[in-house]
Amino acid sequence: MKRALPVLVLSVAGLIPVWRYAPSQDTGAGAAAPAPAPSLSSSTGPGGSTSTVVPGSTVDTEKGPVQVEVTFQGDRIASVRMLRQPDHPQTTAAVPKLIEETLRAQSADIDTVSGATVTSDGYRQSLQAALDAKG
Amino acid sequence: MRRVEHVMGFPVSVRIDDAGFPEAPVDELFAWLREVDARFSPFRPDSEVSRLDRGQQAEPGPELREVLDLREEYRLATGGAFDVRPPGRRLDPCAVVKGWSVQRGAELLSAAGARRFCLNAGGDVVVSGGPWRVGVRHPEDAGRLCAVLDLTDRAVATSARYERGDHIVDARTGRPATGLLSMTVVAPTLTEADAVSTAAFALGPQGITWAASRPGCEVFAVNADGKVLRSEGFPVTA
Repeated sequence: MKRALPVLVLSVAGLIPVWRYAPSQDTGAGAAAPAPAPSLSSSTGPGGSTSTVVPGSTVDTEKGPVQVEVTFQGDRIASVRMLRQPDHPQTTAAVPKLIEETLRAQSADIDTVSGATVTSDGYRQSLQAALDAKG
Repeated sequence: MRRVEHVMGFPVSVRIDDAGFPEAPVDELFAWLREVDARFSPFRPDSEVSRLDRGQQAEPGPELREVLDLREEYRLATGGAFDVRPPGRRLDPCAVVKGWSVQRGAELLSAAGARRFCLNAGGDVVVSGGPWRVGVRHPEDAGRLCAVLDLTDRAVATSARYERGDHIVDARTGRPATGLLSMTVVAPTLTEADAVSTAAFALGPQGITWAASRPGCEVFAVNADGKVLRSEGFPVTA
């Protein structure tokens, strides 16, 4: 598991921008703060959708224990926040800039196609099959 | 040279542009993918995964260990949203096995001397050399594209709701993930591109920012309203 540790720290750093999007709540003083007892809580929001808060298990890293909490609206993740963070969290992780565009449908001369898994059954009708056949 | 074979239930297309490249490494690539299917499929009762799940095998072998570590990495990175073993389900490392095994296959071709090739495993793509022109399937029109990329020495994977319907399950709820029409991730390896696109799709709209923050990852997402959100570095052609 040694190999997994540095990766974990990076992963947690990667989560932080997501966590920032969550409604702000005081997360305490990091690793020194005791984790709340794991519990599931549900409440029904104004739109009638059920909100469920699920704490993850505490994970020990080189930088200290980490625990996240996920809030669901229905079956969708509404927010992820840190219940416990490492002693030296990389809070400087930049929020990436996203460009918004209109969805276009185009045809073009291409070498190959990326898409959600094409099964062998669906392959014959796929664009990729046409490209493979073209040779 | 071109070859198409069907493994693990999806088509695998290989195109190698190096003149005179031998057939043997391509045979090895397909043998490796068939071996992965036999060892890591949760649907085969005699697979290593099934034996481990039933307790008939105490310890995973080194390769299954690697796959399980990857699964754990992405589970942790998403606060549990990405987990191939939701409560009450069998051990199913499928979500990381595909990208990982195809990436390994690509490395096998590189090790055999292939310099310019394109490997497409059911829509997940690894390219060596380039630039290759890679189309991204339009989420609502199978015959058209929503983007065209110039890709060199990288990988791209897409998770979406077409083809198999709601096949990506949010492990926290055991229910299908919804919220995005399609999520395409470009990364240095297919291991990363496939796992991150799957995890980001499960996370929904928040997954776009999450995926774009991963080192080396560029994203192109289509949200439920049909709007495109992409990272600045996503390699679309001009």
